Amino acid sequence: MRKIYIPSKITSAIDGYELLLRLHSEFEKTNNEEIHFSFLNVVWFEANLAAVLGAIIEELEWRGNTVKIVETDNYSRINNVFFRNGFFPHHGIYIDVISGGNTQISYKMFLESEDQLYNNYIQSELLNNSGFPKHSPRLGAEIKRNIFELFENARTHGKCSHIHTCGQFYPHYRKLNITIVDTGKTIVSNVREHLNNNLGSCECIDWAMKMNNTTKAGNTPGGLGLGLIFDFINLNKGKIQIVSSNGFWELKEGRVRKLDLNFSFSGTIANLEFNLDEHLLYHFADEVKDLNNIF
Amino acid sequence: MLMQVLIKDKISKRFAVSTEDGDKIYHIIIGNFLKKEKVTLDFEGITLMTTAFLNAAIGQLYSNNQYSSEFLNNYLSLINVEEQDAHLFRLVVKRAKEYFANKDGFEKNSNDSIYGDD
Repeated sequence: MRKIYIPSKITSAIDGYELLLRLHSEFEKTNNEEIHFSFLNVVWFEANLAAVLGAIIEELEWRGNTVKIVETDNYSRINNVFFRNGFFPHHGIYIDVISGGNTQISYKMFLESEDQLYNNYIQSELLNNSGFPKHSPRLGAEIKRNIFELFENARTHGKCSHIHTCGQFYPHYRKLNITIVDTGKTIVSNVREHLNNNLGSCECIDWAMKMNNTTKAGNTPGGLGLGLIFDFINLNKGKIQIVSSNGFWELKEGRVRKLDLNFSFSGTIANLEFNLDEHLLYHFADEVKDLNNIF
Repeated sequence: MLMQVLIKDKISKRFAVSTEDGDKIYHIIIGNFLKKEKVTLDFEGITLMTTAFLNAAIGQLYSNNQYSSEFLNNYLSLINVEEQDAHLFRLVVKRAKEYFANKDGFEKNSNDSIYGDD
């Protein structure tokens, strides 16, 4: 049996991703073993990043490992969000009474073919959730569209076994964070194959985020989804982070930051932060009223 | 003949988001075009739409020079599109025309933009 202690603080900053990817790398060659992830030292674990931990655990299980989450008592006394979002129960850890608000978007896993279930999930977790801060219908629709564009991207490009997703509202800050993780083919690998070169990992992500760039082949055009998300996040003053292989790419407050990390992830992590402030509503410069003769 | 296609019935949902559902609509459209029938896509009740869906449903119509813009403007119409979704159609159509006009050119331009040759 191997036990690893999860670090005390996991956030969606570069060092937070480095720590998660380091966990992933620790077990790169571990097969058919019992692995314990200990929460003994954990003080803060950004709730939506449960999706990343879930994907790491799933990958270990594929390789015949048995993974258990242990020593959660201390952390559970500080914060019960991993019970509220279903992550601990998913791994067999329960408590009698779950108190607290309704600010979580549940941790779930979806198969590539389960787009309808994902529809239902977004419907119930976002649309029908009383904990979701009030916001305009237009903003809500754009947020959902972005989430689906990203989900479709993971489904059609990752060719993965499961897509892991989890989210969290922060009513005080009027923010919504959602993380979508796939353990399929990385953006880096897709872009390198498509361009037939050995571009750096973060440069591959940068290429994929540009409007009109696509690695799709065949008769269905692509290259709009990620570009639209880029535009929306810019206007919304939100944040998007992509980690794929060892590439890190972030758009925050209009600035792109990209670098190659010390550790690698065998899939893609997409972390979105939306701003729910009404005054950040915007209009598309090219809004179309007339759809006649559009072709 | 005019065929009116109620999208939410054909895909059995109000979210027009997946590539597979877009494919269903694409095949309905070309099936009717083969019969020389005009098609109206009715988006009544569709509450969410993505470019992934539209690329498959409409973007594909431009592949292999199957249909000209003139033909599509004459044989395909759109009704009950939510105002917030209308701009997606223009994006998808523009992108599809460029994509199929010169696939090779796109790939070359992509390489050039990375290596700073343009």
